[in-house]
Amino acid sequence: MINLEVKIPDTPGSLIELIRPISKYGGNIYGILHFHDRKLKNMIPVNISFELSEEIQEVSLQNIKKELKEKNIQIENISYGIEKKLITIILTGHVFDTDVMDTIKRLASKNINVLELQAKFTKLEEVSNVKLRIEFPEEMDKKELTNELRKICEEKKLFLITS
Amino acid sequence: MMNVKICLIGKGIVGSSLLQLLNEKKQLFKQKFNLKITVNSIFESDGALIKDKGIDLKEILDVSDDFRNLPYWRRDVKAIDLISELDIDICIETTPTNPKTGEPGLSHIIEALNNHIDVISSNKGPFYLEYKKIKNLAEQNNCFVKYEATVASCVPSLSIKEDLIGNEILSIKAILNGTSNFILSRMTAEGVDFPLALKEAQELGYAESDPTLDIDGYDAAGKLVILANELLGWSKNIKDVKVEGISKITPHAIELVKPDGFVIKPLAIAENNELSVEPRLIDKNSPLNISGNLNVVELETKYAGPIILMGRGAGGFEAASAIINDLIDITRKKGYSP
Ligand SMILES: NC(=O)c1ccc[n+]([C@@H]2O[C@H](COP(=O)([O-])OP(=O)(O)OC[C@H]3O[C@@H](n4cnc5c(N)ncnc54)[C@H](OP(=O)(O)O)[C@@H]3O)[C@@H](O)[C@H]2O)c1
Repeated sequence: MINLEVKIPDTPGSLIELIRPISKYGGNIYGILHFHDRKLKNMIPVNISFELSEEIQEVSLQNIKKELKEKNIQIENISYGIEKKLITIILTGHVFDTDVMDTIKRLASKNINVLELQAKFTKLEEVSNVKLRIEFPEEMDKKELTNELRKICEEKKLFLITS
Repeated sequence: MMNVKICLIGKGIVGSSLLQLLNEKKQLFKQKFNLKITVNSIFESDGALIKDKGIDLKEILDVSDDFRNLPYWRRDVKAIDLISELDIDICIETTPTNPKTGEPGLSHIIEALNNHIDVISSNKGPFYLEYKKIKNLAEQNNCFVKYEATVASCVPSLSIKEDLIGNEILSIKAILNGTSNFILSRMTAEGVDFPLALKEAQELGYAESDPTLDIDGYDAAGKLVILANELLGWSKNIKDVKVEGISKITPHAIELVKPDGFVIKPLAIAENNELSVEPRLIDKNSPLNISGNLNVVELETKYAGPIILMGRGAGGFEAASAIINDLIDITRKKGYSP
């Protein structure tokens, strides 16, 4: 994720001028923040975050910067936001009986966040199957993640399937 | 023309298929490879057929299971006692393995190498337990030892190394056990549970009456060890593999991940110096998503991305044809064949 901090004139159409080169060079825009309260000399600070696929990132970013410069849009700062990685896993066993909230909290304490949980039950006393969509930090590799998951699964006798 | 003398140990499904192929390909060996293949001994667990001048393969095939009535059948002799005495160039090992000890194959292979006899094996136990020992012994004695049939049968998953000599193999993902793959495929396609899918596999002859080694992942783990040692230059054995079987997978688990485009597959993985066999979620459009009892091997290469091999991973003739490939390869490397 790329985050651009720019200043644009408070005139109609100037936002379009900002967005156009980003879209043109393959940017997938996630969000735009206007700071009207920090307007100075008719210029408004704007933060725009977007994603560029890895292969085109370098070239596209150069083109975007060049075009913004030509349009007299000043770039104050560029930052590369922390990206989260996603994974889907399945837990089979007594997932709820072994305190699913504890499982989720323990993962959260390691910066591993459960975004979605879906379960299928048979009979109450039988095993359940639970699908979790999990977000984990960019700097954590998949092995570290599975080690964390495995620790909990071994303790709670849950069967883990990862992608 | 070079006369290559063969000893076959184990006349079961693979061994008998091999005898049939050797008989069928007699002319081909002669014309294309300048070879005469003479099988001078065939060992079974309770005795052996031994004929110094060469056994008539057609006769053996004609009498089928009655080979013990042939005049040159010698009861109660053992391969391990006679390997050193017989005049053999190549010993072909096709006995079943004890997964804990690798026997009787391990001793046969060691005895052959100690007597400077080249070895071809379809029996994987000795290799996933004592890979290094066997390779070192072969090198010390200047012998060839080949075992293409041990992994994915006739799919050239080991010999591909020679064809990728200008590339570099970085990691391996594979499905190496047809039985587990068949069971999970049925569970995915029909929503049946594990016990029922297993029963189906047994009825169709895809699973043994004792399917433990297949479904608990041990069979795939053994093949993975051989594959990784061969293609990645590792020196692991089966104890180094993290193994998880497929018996805990439920139809619900399969159903839950379907909308996300995932299927559950029994994957064997060699990467980052680690070996594992376990069920994994894979993209349903992945080339690893093969159904039925097929095998697939995906090699991640440095200069060409993934390279994929797929095919039938079991069967008597499949394994026998891989043995023939090994045989030709040895005779070529020895300079006997063009
Ligand atoms: N079948 C396949 O699709 C396939 C594919 C690839 C690799 N393989 C491997 O190839 C090997 C053979 O498989 P297979 O399917 O042919 O097995 P099989 O049908 O059970 O045949 C094995 C044969 O070896 C004999 N044998 C056992 N102990 C012996 C000993 N000490 N000395 C001499 N002979 C002995 C057996 O005789 P008794 O029956 O009298 O004990 C039997 O005839 C196995 O290691 C298997 O894992 C098989």
